[in-house]
Amino acid sequence: MNAPAKMQSPPARCARWILDCALRHWPEDTRPWGLALAAEIDETANAFETVRWSLGGLMFFGRSVLSSALAWLKLPAGASLSGSPSGGPLDSSTFPKRSRFFTAAVLLAAALLLILPQGREALRTVRGTWQNDVQSESDARKLEELATRAEKDKDADMLAFAALSARDSTRGAALTERAIALDPKLIWVYGARNHSQKNDPPREDRLAQLQLADPGNAVPDLLMADALVQPQISILIEHGMNDREYRLSLESNAKWMALMERAYAEPRYDSYFQRHYHLTKTVWNREKDLPATIVLYGVAQHAFPDLLHIRMYCDMKIDAARKAREAGNFTTAKDLLAGVDAFGVRMADSGGADFEQLIGLVVSRSANKEAENLAKVSANPEDARTAAARLDQIEARFNRIRRSANPERAVRSEVFRKEGLLVQSFGILCVLAAIGTLAGILLLELWPARLQGAKSLSRRFACILADWAPPTLLVACAGFLLSFLPFHRAIEEYRSSNYLRADELALLDAWWGLMRVTESLYLGADATVRFWYFVTVALSAVLLAVVFRAIVRTKRSATNPA
Amino acid sequence: MGLRIRLSRQTLAVLDALLLHPGQWQHGYSLSQRTGIPSGTLYPILMRLEKLHWLETRWEEVKTPGRPPRHLYRLSGTAREWAREELRAAQERHFWKPAGSEA
Repeated sequence: MNAPAKMQSPPARCARWILDCALRHWPEDTRPWGLALAAEIDETANAFETVRWSLGGLMFFGRSVLSSALAWLKLPAGASLSGSPSGGPLDSSTFPKRSRFFTAAVLLAAALLLILPQGREALRTVRGTWQNDVQSESDARKLEELATRAEKDKDADMLAFAALSARDSTRGAALTERAIALDPKLIWVYGARNHSQKNDPPREDRLAQLQLADPGNAVPDLLMADALVQPQISILIEHGMNDREYRLSLESNAKWMALMERAYAEPRYDSYFQRHYHLTKTVWNREKDLPATIVLYGVAQHAFPDLLHIRMYCDMKIDAARKAREAGNFTTAKDLLAGVDAFGVRMADSGGADFEQLIGLVVSRSANKEAENLAKVSANPEDARTAAARLDQIEARFNRIRRSANPERAVRSEVFRKEGLLVQSFGILCVLAAIGTLAGILLLELWPARLQGAKSLSRRFACILADWAPPTLLVACAGFLLSFLPFHRAIEEYRSSNYLRADELALLDAWWGLMRVTESLYLGADATVRFWYFVTVALSAVLLAVVFRAIVRTKRSATNPA
Repeated sequence: MGLRIRLSRQTLAVLDALLLHPGQWQHGYSLSQRTGIPSGTLYPILMRLEKLHWLETRWEEVKTPGRPPRHLYRLSGTAREWAREELRAAQERHFWKPAGSEA
């Protein structure tokens, strides 16, 4: 045989090298057969035969790998093809009962459920409720994609939407400028975007522009008044200021008082929340795949005039009216109270957010209660009747707005709360089952020798986890998706509706139904802090257990050296 | 009859080649040459036959230093009879023809 000469040809050398590589990774159980095949390569008659023989070897290698993989999958987690992790015979009592194939199939089914569009939506939404009002990374990326596209397309509405929903306030400010430059009608965004006092405080020049562009509206005046005192208030709050000091600091600010006076006297209270909502609906209708979390995050970030300041100024005016009454100046007192009541009515009728309307009603109620006192003191039964009638009207409005006093809405909220509890329970079960699956499988697969101590507690625990955590995960995922269906329907109905206020309320009720559970579970704004707190506590407990065990063992070996 | 298995045409061809010199040890490459079956199909067949105890195998002693030992195969004593029976039955069913009869 002229092997050496024949083997010099490049294709033959290449074929031989490939076969050598395959041999290095050949599965143990069929490796002798691979060696047998490779040993014959020197007998081949020519370079073509060598290549053909080598290709056949590769095919055999592929089949061997596949059959080894299938055999490996048929074994439980932690078991190897050669028997137990140490190479001895397999003791079935120290391994999980289910095969790797079963576990993989169950995990795949669970993953498929979560990859479905409804699954993705459920995941995003529930994750959003766990983060409370913190926008997730994926939502922030999606929003940035929309903003970049809108900048390219010069889409003012989309830019305004992105500005109002942006987590990064500096980016939000830039997008606001761009949107207003494209469509000056969007100037109201100056008054709706949330600001960060540290990085992006509200700009008085922009609010002044808004005052000019929207004359007669109390909202820009109120926002300007807030912007004026915010730095001073922030410092005072840091120094632990009480309510009285707060009020005194506001009263001593003449500019603030003048702006509040002007706001109370303006003929309109036109809430920008309504415009924000309308913009959100328009964008969501165009971008059907936009996650509910982005939309709701944006709406939740809306900047309202400081309701505490409105309430405090109301109290100042009523105190002034009381003083006027005590001084006998009934007409002045009546005028002051009428002004406050009128502002409250304008605010309550603004069609803004529920709490804006509620604060408007509170302002009106305070004014009318004092008006009732004034009527009694001034012996004016007509005014007393008018004030009493107004108070009855206000109470009726309160009941219409308050969820608990609206039977239909109260029932719906309660149903969403219960369904939310189910969704959150399944969500938590999913997380626990996923952690259990990972822990069980990793412990058995990565440290088989470490856990080999046959029937040790840790090994039994790992086996139970590897057996039961994956099916639990599948059931939890299915339950999670099924229980999320009512919320999915609420989102779908909102998207496909003609956007009546009732639809908005249904969506908000659904959202609060989910949120209320996480709030009661203390997984609120500082969920990340709490999570790491629990991890630290758990790890500390494990460390203590290990130290304690080591001490006990040392003592035992000291008393019994044999 | 011993262990009956479902045999493919290629397996029958390998059995036929092994029966040509029943007691003699044969190499994989010569079996491949004789049957025309490529290595990727031949070795899985040999492996299966060995698992069923139809095939006896051994490693050849190294004759040339630096070259790996070669693997040798022959049918076990009892398997020869079963193999002949299988080949006869396959021929009767017109499922398989010996290589020489085609010419």
